[in-house]
Amino acid sequence: MRIVVDHDKCTGLGMCEAEAPDLFEVQDDGSLVLLNETPSEDQRAAAEAAVESCPTEALSIVED
Amino acid sequence: MTTDVEFIPATSENKPEHSAIEVSSKAFWAQTSEQRDETFARLRAEDPVSWQRPVEEAVAPDPNDPGYWAVTKHADIVTVSRDNRTFINGQGVLFDMLPADFLEMSQSFMAMDAPRQPLLRKLVSSAFTPRRIATIEDQIKTAAREVVDGFASDPAGEIDFVDRCAERLPVRMFGDMFGVPEEMRSQTATSAGDVVAWADPERIGDRHPAEVGLAACQTLHGIAAELIAERRKKPADDLFTSLVEAEVDGQKLTDGEIGAFFVLLSVAATDTTKHTSSFTVRAFTDFRDQQRWLMEDYDGRISTAIEEFVRYASPVMTFRRTATRETELAGKKIIPGDKVVMFYPSGNRDADVFEAPDRFDLSRDPNPHVGFGGGGAHFCLGNQLAKSMLRALFHELLTRIPEFEAGEPELLGTNFMRGVKRMPFRFTPEK
Repeated sequence: MRIVVDHDKCTGLGMCEAEAPDLFEVQDDGSLVLLNETPSEDQRAAAEAAVESCPTEALSIVED
Repeated sequence: MTTDVEFIPATSENKPEHSAIEVSSKAFWAQTSEQRDETFARLRAEDPVSWQRPVEEAVAPDPNDPGYWAVTKHADIVTVSRDNRTFINGQGVLFDMLPADFLEMSQSFMAMDAPRQPLLRKLVSSAFTPRRIATIEDQIKTAAREVVDGFASDPAGEIDFVDRCAERLPVRMFGDMFGVPEEMRSQTATSAGDVVAWADPERIGDRHPAEVGLAACQTLHGIAAELIAERRKKPADDLFTSLVEAEVDGQKLTDGEIGAFFVLLSVAATDTTKHTSSFTVRAFTDFRDQQRWLMEDYDGRISTAIEEFVRYASPVMTFRRTATRETELAGKKIIPGDKVVMFYPSGNRDADVFEAPDRFDLSRDPNPHVGFGGGGAHFCLGNQLAKSMLRALFHELLTRIPEFEAGEPELLGTNFMRGVKRMPFRFTPEK
């Protein structure tokens, strides 16, 4: 499982960070940093909730 | 407005007859929201994306305006909101037509598109993330407690809810975050209200609507100019300082640009949450069982409930986009230059998405309302701040003065903000 961020769509609202603080962090300049691009299986629920919460559809999960 | 792309003119070519169900007249907007909801229900059922005449008696009418598409279904509002390349903001976002100088002073990044829009928005956005709002949660709780302290034990047991309660918390939090000193806050709130009051006869009086909005913008820009000068000399930990220090493409913002930020965010921050909390105490009065349900487990249920507060109140009624390319919406052909107006309260009453949409049901979950917009690049920046304020304020109200009754709200005359000017509020005072 890999998380992909579309930085053109991301507006830095930080909903993902609220759902999965171990995976996402919004910087002071509003940009989003992925703390862990390949979360473990036990982080799957949080990762999926983060993807779901994004109002700009900037996040997706790719199964490698 | 900064825009690098060429202006796309509207055209009346290839348009259908204007819809038999109209939402542009002054008479339509003079109705109660319940009456308007009936019309929107008909549009959703019979003509979900309808071609409409230009808004009647616009503040600054455009003689070449052929009209607009009215988007009333939830799904179509979401589509338009999220496709920011096909539906742009750079040619205007308001339903009503307003003068260019007013728009220049008041809209900032909201009336822009990529690439500049995200650069400007991100200058302030990190202050509004859930994580950052959580760090000021205690400050918000204290502020809410002090607002309610102001009237809870008043033996009269009756206040104007808007003046004594709803308005105060957002104005205080906005002032704290931006760094507006105490003595300038009341003027800021009044002017922010005037910015969106162009259709309210009482607030306009014998002045021209355009004049009221422009004067309010000038007042807010004056306040901004004073604070910008102070922060340049002595930086502080607030948003004014962030904006003064910010650079976009290697350039500092002008005072005018910072002023427009200030106008946009003062309206967005103070007006919307005020109206939502007012409509919510009224909804608790109309749906008594909901207060009992919420208080059985306030902390566990309030997050779900707040989504319903926002859906039910739907304070922002309209925003516009302009099409940049040919597309189809609900079977209607949209061409470049066409204006497309989203009617959020209609999307929030769409029975295809919300069961028994007229019911105030705090247990609604999921609750994919469009009260903060339908998603996309312009989704409400302040949604977490709004939710946090509502959580703190209703905790105070419902625990300290649980026996209350909200009277009939006096509504703002408007085609933009579903607002409450005054509303009697009776309660059993706190001992």
